[in-house]
Amino acid sequence: MMSNRPTPDASTQIEIYRRAALLKANDERSRKVIMNGRLVMPYYSYRGQEIIPSATMVSLTDDDYLVTIYRGIHDMLAKGMPLNDLWAEVAGRVDGTCKGKGGPMHLTYPAKGIMVTTGIVGSSMPIANGLAWGSQLSEDGRVAVATFGDGASNIGAFHEALNLAAVWKLPVVFLCQNNLYGEHTTYEKATSALRIADRAAAYNIPGVRVDGNDPIEMYAAAKEAIDRARAGEGPTLLEAMTFRFHGHVFGDADAYMDKAQKQAAVEADPVPRFRARLIADGFATEEQLAAMEAQIEADIDAAVEFALASSFPELDELTRDVYAEGVAA
Amino acid sequence: MRDTMTSEKPAEAKVKPVTILQGINQAIADAMEADDKVLVLGEDVADPEDGGVCGVTKGLSSRFGDKRVRSTPIAEQAIIGAAIGASLVGYKPIAEIMLMNFTTVAMDMIVNHAAKLRFMSGGQTHVPIVIRTMTGTGFASGGQHCDYLEAWFAHTAGMKVVAPSNPADAYGLMRAAIDDPDPVLFIENLPNYWLPGTPPEPGSVVPLGKARIAKEGSDVTVLSYSRIMNEAMAAIKAIEEAGVSVEMIDLRTISPWDKETVLASVRKTGRCLIAHEAVTQFGVGAEIAATLSSELFGQLKKPVVRMGAPYAPVPFSKPLETAYTPDAKRIAEAVISLAR
Amino acid sequence: MATEVLLPKLGFSMNEGTLTEWLVPDGGQAVEGQPLYALESDKSTNEVESPATGTLKILKETGETYEVGTVLAVIQ
Repeated sequence: MMSNRPTPDASTQIEIYRRAALLKANDERSRKVIMNGRLVMPYYSYRGQEIIPSATMVSLTDDDYLVTIYRGIHDMLAKGMPLNDLWAEVAGRVDGTCKGKGGPMHLTYPAKGIMVTTGIVGSSMPIANGLAWGSQLSEDGRVAVATFGDGASNIGAFHEALNLAAVWKLPVVFLCQNNLYGEHTTYEKATSALRIADRAAAYNIPGVRVDGNDPIEMYAAAKEAIDRARAGEGPTLLEAMTFRFHGHVFGDADAYMDKAQKQAAVEADPVPRFRARLIADGFATEEQLAAMEAQIEADIDAAVEFALASSFPELDELTRDVYAEGVAA
Repeated sequence: MRDTMTSEKPAEAKVKPVTILQGINQAIADAMEADDKVLVLGEDVADPEDGGVCGVTKGLSSRFGDKRVRSTPIAEQAIIGAAIGASLVGYKPIAEIMLMNFTTVAMDMIVNHAAKLRFMSGGQTHVPIVIRTMTGTGFASGGQHCDYLEAWFAHTAGMKVVAPSNPADAYGLMRAAIDDPDPVLFIENLPNYWLPGTPPEPGSVVPLGKARIAKEGSDVTVLSYSRIMNEAMAAIKAIEEAGVSVEMIDLRTISPWDKETVLASVRKTGRCLIAHEAVTQFGVGAEIAATLSSELFGQLKKPVVRMGAPYAPVPFSKPLETAYTPDAKRIAEAVISLAR
Repeated sequence: MATEVLLPKLGFSMNEGTLTEWLVPDGGQAVEGQPLYALESDKSTNEVESPATGTLKILKETGETYEVGTVLAVIQ
């Protein structure tokens, strides 16, 4: 236990909770809307993993970059993606952030630094390196964060990206959200390393394993890595331990998930646990948090209605944005 | 000061030819001088590593520094990923994939990301990268080092593909490719690196999507690009000796190709040979032939002929490798036969 | 205002599902958030919650397979 580790103050803790509560509510609403048949889309639930991005993104600005993956709506919302733009996009509507042409796996919102979302496991990392290289050249102090899962640590792009980032000392943070499953396969069956953080040694960069469900620990580890990057000290591999409450893609039977393990994780749900802790520590009152949560629900209500009321894109969008305007697709 | 008062006819200013390699090098240098957002990365591209395996990027790191010109690890996914990421935030990276066969290692970055980010983001981001890559038979490097894979990338919406056949076009296409707001695959032929030609006008740009009529004619149209274009040009003498008037078109850009120029030519001649180094089957020639057949159905005097490599990997043994690739002799025979 | 009960898409490759059981009778009271019917796809069996509170008017029979998006019932 290092006494000089960064600790979030009261207002930061409340902000971390606000983001986590937003993520939880958004996930619940997403699943509800799908179950009701109101929306048809592949949905990769992040429920259970809310604390990781909430405690990380508070240490980033809008100018810092995020590259995330298909199970990344929590990352994007924590980074500041507006709800309306997000919902309209997952509904395939023209008012979506990508005019309905990307969908949930390709959500992009550059104004908040959400530069790329990829549906390819592992591909967030090489691209995050490029963004970081741009910052290094511009000397603008920006940091790029690449998020990915435990499964991605086994793909070739992970190796290539960490190696290059280390050699070029890029201002990038590799944030692995280890939820113990890669698609349907357990960590143990797929990954040779005892801990993903141990792989950092192979690249001569710091590797830090942290309880991703503990907001104080997650905040500290993330802030240290971000500050290192910003100071020009190069990349860090963060392995944030967590658990996903639902299957790989929503609708999966998730029979492959160990029932006892899952039950324990659900009982230790980090979001209500943090909520209780905030109140117990005297940082917030029940009334404050309830009001905050009611606002979140209202915002989500508005976003869902906005999305469903929005039109679908016109057919000419099929061949627009393949190239710059004016070039025939 | 040269004495022009001689009995010889007045000398034209002697124009020193440059090679395709020099043309590419000059284009990149001029672009980097004009715009400090232009970057170069790839395996061995910097001067301590000899400025590229054939020297195409020689002098660049010494002149522009090792922040803008970087030799990378052998990691094609990382190379293209870095290029993509930097291009999203205002840079113009020129990434080298040493051999076209190695683009396969970076296919995810090229096809799933570079080609598609503009579309999938709804136009919010775009990827102005150039991917330079070398290939071609003639050096006995065998099945994994000589493939022409342009059809794959032409088939990928969001990519552009160019292949110069001479130094001036190499310069002009590279200048255009660097400034193009979308990803451009720039194909360089290995044996032709040392092909001399008219030096390019500094600053000249060859627009993408414009073919060049290298020679006008009336009986048969020949379409080609890259090294085989030079084989086609070398076939002119034999063709004319057989009394055939051939029109030679250098596509220069494979995708988007110059339909207007090609259709006008084939409408005129009614006979067309498409020759490329890539395997014939499912190649670029197939797409163009289908378009010609569809647009000029009643006007063709003969079916469109495609000439490319046989449906096999590139062989190592020299006589097999030579037989594998279209050459001037075979092109001449095909054109003369078309004209009958 | 009537709320349609639509057959959802659950899972990547699902195009249709079998309505195996109505958990609220026709004409009965559906309660938002409470299980309304059981849905079987080739990947899983799910209890689907009611999207609204009101009187249930069943439109589709159990034991049949329907495409994603089919209106199974209406809640008034």
